[in-house]
Order: sequence, then C-alpha cells, then structure tokens
Amino acid sequence: MCLYYPFLLKLFKIYIKNNELELEVFKIINTTNHNINHYKIYKYNKIKNMTEKIIVANKGPVRAEFAFWVGRYMDKFFDVLENKRIIGNKCPKCGDVFVPPRKICGKCNIKIDFEKSWVDLPDTGILKNYTITYYKVNDRASRKVKKPQIVGMIQIDGSNTSIVYRLLDLEPEDVKIGMKLKIQWEEKPKGDPSDIKGFIKI
Amino acid sequence: MEKVGIVGYNQVKLYSDANYGRYEMIFEAVRGALDSAGLKKKDISTVVSATNDYYDGRTISNALTVEVGGGYLADESKVEMDGAYAVLYGLMRILSGNHKLAVVWGGSMASCFPYHSARLYETDPTWERPLAYVNDITSAGFQMRAYMERYGVTLEDIAKIAVKNRKNAAQNPLALSEAQNTSITVNDVLKSEVYADPVTELMVAEPCDGVAALLLAPEKQALKITDNPVWITGVGYNQETYYLGDRDLSISKSMELAGKMAFNAAGIKNPRNEIDVAELFASYAHEELMFTEALEFAEKGKGVSLNTEINGDLPINPSGGALGGNPPCATGLIRIIEAAKQLKGEADAYQVKNANKAIASGQIGMCAQSNIIYVLEGGN
Repeated sequence: MCLYYPFLLKLFKIYIKNNELELEVFKIINTTNHNINHYKIYKYNKIKNMTEKIIVANKGPVRAEFAFWVGRYMDKFFDVLENKRIIGNKCPKCGDVFVPPRKICGKCNIKIDFEKSWVDLPDTGILKNYTITYYKVNDRASRKVKKPQIVGMIQIDGSNTSIVYRLLDLEPEDVKIGMKLKIQWEEKPKGDPSDIKGFIKI
Repeated sequence: MEKVGIVGYNQVKLYSDANYGRYEMIFEAVRGALDSAGLKKKDISTVVSATNDYYDGRTISNALTVEVGGGYLADESKVEMDGAYAVLYGLMRILSGNHKLAVVWGGSMASCFPYHSARLYETDPTWERPLAYVNDITSAGFQMRAYMERYGVTLEDIAKIAVKNRKNAAQNPLALSEAQNTSITVNDVLKSEVYADPVTELMVAEPCDGVAALLLAPEKQALKITDNPVWITGVGYNQETYYLGDRDLSISKSMELAGKMAFNAAGIKNPRNEIDVAELFASYAHEELMFTEALEFAEKGKGVSLNTEINGDLPINPSGGALGGNPPCATGLIRIIEAAKQLKGEADAYQVKNANKAIASGQIGMCAQSNIIYVLEGGN
C-alpha cells in the first residue's frame, strides 16, 4: 500500500516481541530521514495486539527557509559586535539602556532615535540568573549532552536588560548570582550573535 | 460583565502517544460536548478553535479540522494560542449578541513532534534563536531560580506542589496515566532527572496528546439548554514583555494584573474568601506558587504555606492541573472545564465540597508571558 507515496525513501519495520507475543509494525514513510529518531523512541509497551501503524515522517517537499533582515538597529549592533565591542541604546524618556538595541521602548511606548541615543558599553557584566541544562536546545529530538551547559542571564555593565549566553570554563558549583563576568570573544567574529562565544569569570 | 453560560463540555483522555488519529480525537471531544448538552450540528452558530500551525505541522491548521470540529459550512475561525484564549474569543462572539451557541475547542498531539525543541521557535529569530540557549525548559530554569532566590523558597517547597498535583491527577480518570501517581514523594521529585537546573522532570507539565471542547451560550439561551449552566462572570488577561532579559522573572506581574481585571469584572472584593476552588495552568510546579501569590491568595514567597489540597483551605488544581497532562492548545481550556465540573459537582473522586465560585486560568509564552483568568459561578 505504500506504493501510493511517490516520496517513499525508506521503509522500516520494527518488530517488538515479549512474553505475551505483542507485536507492532511500523511503516515509516519518510520524505527525508530527519525525523526517524523521534519514532525510534516510541513507547512500545502500550499496544496489546498485533497492529500496523503507518507513520508519515514528513519534512515536506518544499523547503521554506526564512531570511530575516535584522533591521537598522541590530545591523549597527552586529557591525560593532564584529569589532568586539558592545553598544546599547537609551530610552530618552525612562533612561533604560537596552542591549541589544531596540527601536522602541515598550514601557514608554516611544521611538528611540537612530541618530542619537547610542551608548558605548564595556564587555563586562553581572550574572543575574542561570540554569544548567543537560539537553541540546537546538536539537530536533532534545538529545542529552555529556557535559552540562551553564546558561546565564548576564546584565552588561551600564545596561538595564540581560542577555542569555553560555558561561565558559566554570563548574556548576562555582556559579554564583551576582558574580562579575567578561565576554569571551570568538577569534574570528562574523557580525552575528555567535561572536560572543560566552562569558568567563573575572 | 454580562454573564455567559457554559452549557456543555468534553475532554478526551490524555495520552503521551494516543493510539488514534488527531481528527477522531477532535471529533470525539466536540461531538461529546454537543451530546452532553443534547444539541445537534444545526444548533452550532459559531466555532472557535485553538490549534498551532507549528505544532500541527502545517499552515492554516484549522483548514483540515473544519468537519470534525463542527465547522462544516459554519462561521469558524481560529486562535493560535492556548485554548483559554479561544474561550475569550468565543465569549466575545456570544457577547456580540449575534450568536446562540459557540463551540470552542482546542488541542494538539505533542507526540508527533519534539515539543521542547519546537519552543525554540518562539524566540527572536534575529537574536536568541541562532544561539539556541532559550526554550521553554531553560527559561523555566531561569524563572524558578529567580523565584527561589528572591523569596528564599526551597526546592522541597516546589516539589511538594508537584507531589500534590500528581496525587490529585491519580483521582482524575482523564489525566495522563504517566503523570498519575498515588505514592509519589518529595524525594522522588527532587531525584528525578534534571531538565534545566533547578527544574526536574517531575516538576514539568508533560506535553501530551489531547483535545477538549466547551459550549458557550448567552444567558437566556443557556437556560433553555440546561437547568444548571455554569456562568462565566469575569475574565481578565494581561501580557508581559517579550525578551526574558527585560522581565522580572521572580514574580508573575501579568497574572497579578489579569486577576485584578477578572475579579473586578465579576464584582469580587475579597478573592481569598470568595473563591472556593482554583484551576491554574502552571506549566511547572513553581509557577503554581507564583500564581497563588500573584493572585494574593498568599503573601509573596509564602504560597507553600497555603493548604491547597482537595480538602484544604483553598483547593488549587484538584484535577491535577497541567501537571496531570499538558496537551498544547488544550490545557487552559481543560482548566476551565475542570473548574466547571467542580461547580456542577461532577468531579467525583476529586470533588471539592461546597464549591460555588471558581477561577480557571490559561497561559502562553515563555515563563507564562501572557495569562488569562476566568471567574466561574455555579447555580442559577
């Protein structure tokens, strides 16, 4: 019956047997093979009779990849970032300094002028909050990693907001809220968020 | 606020991997709700659904759910948020005076895709997304730590909430069986796998498969359909700023303001004394405490001292809440249904005694960025 699918690339049959002779067959019709891992962890134990399940693991025949322009404000921020420097911008009304810069201050609901309002900031900051995760956030199946990542919310000195980055060269037990941190720059910055490799203790 | 009647509802049993298709599930929920009120397809005047294109794996995800959701050649549209926001839309349709019966349904099948990875797509594509450090779980880690640090709340305090809700879920036949546990202890919760320190596996409302449906009618019509409708007498909703780094994660300001708006609409002066039962959509155990405090049921940081057991001072989540199963787009709607069950005395093993006024909440976004809360009243 799978012949109806022109995109058929792989056909998996997984037989599960135990004492009760339970049996389940999966046919995975897959246009690409990226989603297979997800079905391999399927919980087998629930099906009491022999069944066949046809699963269409479908990334789709069309690739719709987005190319976002970051906008004037972030364009300037990334240009400066490429030179291993940090800038923010300041709300003319409440005086909050934003990193990364914003076009508007949401609280005051006013526009922050592109021509002025820029503030040069150091590459140091304070750890406001952190979490330690054993999972790869960007992984399709949320796989576990061997070494936990320490992800912190860091307030760059002179700004009023925090940014989320990894903390490097630190053991979980050494992390303390309020500790002083410094940016570890990527050796060859490209003008994108990854130019900041992470933060290290000072 | 002019009151609107809840005249029927239905929720399917929650499964971590349901052994039947999405459309059957939607049909079962919606048809069941109509049957519970003794209504037919021709009685439906408007349909509001809550689904998410990303979670359903296609654009305009409501296009294929028209027939099963009761929307065949009917007035139908979608809210791409939690089901509790679809109820808000349905409520507005009813209050417009143009409709006699609104069907509100919501749900999805989280077993079809890696839910926590998909949540990365909520983040700013030009800044946080390429770095991939923020998803629902890591942001919950930040939120829980911020709350604990500020108020000196302990891990045990938060684990107690997970224990209570998972025990409550065991009394609820429709809860996710993986979440039901009568013998769970604080230690089990603390020793479960660390997702994003300090959040552990058993503190997380597990995404699962499920659909729920609710029927709304204007006051006169509601009394024609049933002798004892549950009335929505107030609603409030509020939203915080988008970037996690701009927010004070130690409190839920949006829940506080939403609560004030809802209590004001319902004419409730003293919520702590007037509310008999609460069903709050807390995606993590610590959020329940934060919401309890935001709604001023307890002082800041003292939420754990309030007895929220089924027979406690103020029962919160007697059904098990979202920790008893969290089908994306249905969870908030299920909270409203559970609150309505309490008011109608249909909650059986987890029935709260003398429940006359209830609240139910829904949420959406990282660290409950947006909250919506309803005040429900029983009787005529």
